[in-house]
Amino acid sequence: MSTVRGPEVASRVGVALGVAIAICFVTGLLSHWIQHPPDWFWWPAHPVWLYRVTQGLHVTTGVAAIPLLLVKLWAVYLRLFERPLIGSPGRALERGSIAVLVGATIFQLSTGLLNIAQFYPWKFFFTTTHYAMAWVVVGALAVHIAVKLPLIRDALSRPLDEDRPAPDVPRGVSRRGVLLAAGLASAVAALTVAGQTVPFLRRLAVLAPRSGRGPQGVPVNRTADAAGVRRAAADPGYLLIVQSGAATRAFSRDELLALPQASAELPIACVEGWSASATWTGVRLRDLLATVGASADADVRFSSLERTGIYGSSVLPAVHARDGSTLVALGLNGSPLDIDHGYPCRLIAPNRPGVLQTKWLERIEVLDT
Amino acid sequence: MIVRLVRLALIVVGCGFLWYGATLLWDSGADALRSIAVWFAAGILLHDGVFAPVCIALGLGGRRWLPYRWWAPVACGAVCTVALAAVAAPVLGRGGAVANPTVLDRNYPLGFALAVALVWILVALAVVGSRAHPTGRAGRR
Repeated sequence: MSTVRGPEVASRVGVALGVAIAICFVTGLLSHWIQHPPDWFWWPAHPVWLYRVTQGLHVTTGVAAIPLLLVKLWAVYLRLFERPLIGSPGRALERGSIAVLVGATIFQLSTGLLNIAQFYPWKFFFTTTHYAMAWVVVGALAVHIAVKLPLIRDALSRPLDEDRPAPDVPRGVSRRGVLLAAGLASAVAALTVAGQTVPFLRRLAVLAPRSGRGPQGVPVNRTADAAGVRRAAADPGYLLIVQSGAATRAFSRDELLALPQASAELPIACVEGWSASATWTGVRLRDLLATVGASADADVRFSSLERTGIYGSSVLPAVHARDGSTLVALGLNGSPLDIDHGYPCRLIAPNRPGVLQTKWLERIEVLDT
Repeated sequence: MIVRLVRLALIVVGCGFLWYGATLLWDSGADALRSIAVWFAAGILLHDGVFAPVCIALGLGGRRWLPYRWWAPVACGAVCTVALAAVAAPVLGRGGAVANPTVLDRNYPLGFALAVALVWILVALAVVGSRAHPTGRAGRR
């Protein structure tokens, strides 16, 4: 059996894996809070690319963690068979906590990877489960680090390849070689998907679920057909309702086009990690709210023509509502909005997850401040 | 003393997080919970019962049949190939599986084949290079 397995490799790969898990946890928590904001939470409108970076980092780091996890488990695998298998209550607890850590981490990385490919061969709701299991991973990891801390400190303080083998024992793979393999495999895995977020790596992203192509040069997460809105969105009698208290106005698409137009260069950044920057044109939200006498210093609810699913409406915080780059978009990259991008009109606001950029708008409602 | 405090804090915080995560999972409902349990257990069993033993068998085979100078580059190539296969698994052969032409819109079999080929070309170059410049441990001795 291999002599390079053991705490020297496990601790070093473990540190890298721990950092990756921490990055995934923090960026994931941010994304969760943006979508389900607690009272104390505040998320800025600028820089406009921040969510694009944090969520791209979340997905890319998760993918990069896959080979790290496999090498980490390889380094400690033989300990699985150490006797006694269960032993004292303390040992049973330690083994149980490792089973939870391993099971939860494999669960997060595998279901997360399937989710970005829109593959759901299970009966649970992905987002809430991914969120709940994240707490399990980080909790079990904290316990694991606490239990192993003396061992980790000891292993990290020893040189990586101290015990040179006897000259007549050929040893092909050193511990350094294992770490190099883990690092390279991690980089390779990351490179095959990172181009979804980082435009100049797009051609290398051979396994990314999104090539970055789509109508008007922008990918689509939910098509008009999937949302069941094709008929309502193409209806010539379409009207957008804008409401603030008792004041209500209705706008046809032509009436919206007759209002002063603005344009903004904003990314659409999906929770699934892909993002694309685009030039959007339309009416500034704050200008539109002014037509019903509302100031933009309030939260605003956007409702879609979409009746199915849970993403038919969103609430835009005041900090985004008053921002000059927040548009009710009518055009994208120089042409009228494609129906899959939200025709007749959609919300586009800076630094927000794509799932909250409500498409096929039916109603805009200023909420009480 | 400080280390003991850090360990204690990690255990307290860790158990709190675990408890919170478990309560959230518990609220998923019976059907979802069963599916979560299956995926959780399957991950451990597939790794410990299938993937790891296969890796050990391949490793032992490699050590037996390959010159030891090849071991490091081949092992590195193998880890990279496994990583590529894992990332490819959810997209390979699923073109058109989602009713949305902007998802799964690459030629994944070709991309995967090219990536694996590139890895093994580099492995071959590393093997040839190590032969041309014998700077391994045996060489230094």
